[in-house]
Amino acid sequence: MKPVKIAMMALTHGHTRKYYQTLRDNSKLDWVASCAADQRAKDVYELYNNGVPCYLSAEEMFAKHPDIEAVVIASANDQHLKEMKLCAERGVHILSMKIPTFDPKEYDEMIELVDKAGIVCQIELEMHYNPVVKRLQEIIASGKLGKLLSIQMTNITLSPVWAFPWQGVPEASYGSRVPLKKGDSRFRGGALCDHPHIFDLIRWLTGSDFDYVYSQVAPNLRPDIEVEDMILASGKMKDGTSFLFDPSWSRLEERLAVPAPGWEIFPKRMEVNVTITGEKGTVMCDCFGPNVYHNGAPNDRYTVQYTYFDEWIGLIDEFVDCIRNHKQPKINLRWHRQTIDCMNACYKSVESGLPANV
Amino acid sequence: MKLKEMNEALQRLRDKYAVKADGEIVAAKEGSIGNAAELKFADGTVCKLLPWRKERRFIELKNLIDNKILEGVSTLRFMNLKAAACIRPLLYRELDLAAFLGEAEVASLFATVNGKTANLIVRLADGKSVSIECSAALPPNAEPIDKHEIIARRGVACDRTVDTQVPQASIYEFTADGEKRYTDTDTELFGFELDEILTIRAAYAVLSDPSLAAQWNAIDANVTAQVQNALESDKSRKPVCC
Repeated sequence: MKPVKIAMMALTHGHTRKYYQTLRDNSKLDWVASCAADQRAKDVYELYNNGVPCYLSAEEMFAKHPDIEAVVIASANDQHLKEMKLCAERGVHILSMKIPTFDPKEYDEMIELVDKAGIVCQIELEMHYNPVVKRLQEIIASGKLGKLLSIQMTNITLSPVWAFPWQGVPEASYGSRVPLKKGDSRFRGGALCDHPHIFDLIRWLTGSDFDYVYSQVAPNLRPDIEVEDMILASGKMKDGTSFLFDPSWSRLEERLAVPAPGWEIFPKRMEVNVTITGEKGTVMCDCFGPNVYHNGAPNDRYTVQYTYFDEWIGLIDEFVDCIRNHKQPKINLRWHRQTIDCMNACYKSVESGLPANV
Repeated sequence: MKLKEMNEALQRLRDKYAVKADGEIVAAKEGSIGNAAELKFADGTVCKLLPWRKERRFIELKNLIDNKILEGVSTLRFMNLKAAACIRPLLYRELDLAAFLGEAEVASLFATVNGKTANLIVRLADGKSVSIECSAALPPNAEPIDKHEIIARRGVACDRTVDTQVPQASIYEFTADGEKRYTDTDTELFGFELDEILTIRAAYAVLSDPSLAAQWNAIDANVTAQVQNALESDKSRKPVCC
């Protein structure tokens, strides 16, 4: 199979660096170029010595590399539509970050332009390629748990806002400046926007869609940011399964400009745990464990050192397969729409203090 | 529960520490959703027991807040899974712990209930959030699994180890008979099951400080109403003020 000539765009998303190794190692890819949103992003990119040219303009990148077939759009959420247009106009396939947009009109526009251009647009929801999740799906499918009653999931991390400042800017993260609720000085665009995975996974695990959701914010751990960092959500799926999600930034961090060892203050910087109760059994899983532990440099703090992040391998494999074999990715724009709708419903619920229908 | 032996142990503690008030541990009245046993004073009055309030891990978690080791608590996250006939006693304990560890009254709650499972989002009077995940649907004979985490601007405290999913034991015994675990935390009451120890300790605490009885009975009435509110919240699909 001819390798797909791929590029990266913007380089300001928190997941940017996770692609570097896969883009270099995967023989089905030929990483030809990158373009950075600004000089800061370019400077950080150059720290990784990827050996791939980096431009400061997407137009320049496309002009110098007309053979680009696909792009990883690794930008702030408010840039996605503009960048998707640039790709669609050129018939370039798109790997979009996990939040294409929270704006329903923009979302429709994205679907339309991808359909019109006949390109692949895959959404980056890497948990689908996680081996623990794969096993979990197998356990559920076996019927061992019986009818599912309740699912609890955490998608908790440190806050990336110091390294990726747009994640703390309501306009860049949520798409506009919307107060969380009357009398609250914070705005939409924080931890919830960073953690769509659990809202997506439950739809895969149950095969059902959201019915209604209630969401509540707590006092921020970081009073100096203007978006929410502690939030909970609970509701029911249409099949009656009850759920409780924690998508908070509940792990504190050192305020590093570039992610590096010593980033975490709490020993475990990220957790995606799932508890599923069915009529016949219960399963609990940690999607990122077991791990190794140390208390060495730079801060001599007890630290969880993760042992695997295979997700990007499977994700890129699927992307290439879809491009070369004209397939629709599992996580495409249409599929993902309900997940985004539920996240918007969470914000609506925070604002009203009542559950919101999805 | 071995009520006879528990009462003997309670009397031993009274004698040892010269506690004047006298009482007896008795099975809780039918319909009570709190602890399985309560304290009957010598004069016949009854005190509802809240044994978790005398459990060392919860006392230590509370100490971390009171001693300002943790500062600026934002959210508490509780989980309680066990094999039980009904979800109500689990909700009862966790709702009481929410107020005890959160150090504020439960102001409102939103619940989703499905079979023997329930998920709650609670708002405390001072604005803190509490999430409560309960399931009474573990298979019979399964060890209970619970977790209580307090997340603050300064510090996170938890009764479970980082990067683990189930409670740890003090002793793991591997023999031809298989694996057996032991977790002994009370030398004076060595040999009793944990729930028996906690009940004896709670009864002893009330005998040592009889003013606790009125306080705990009031809490019982309050928390019993909150559990009912949770079930109603699920039915109405609305948060309920408590």
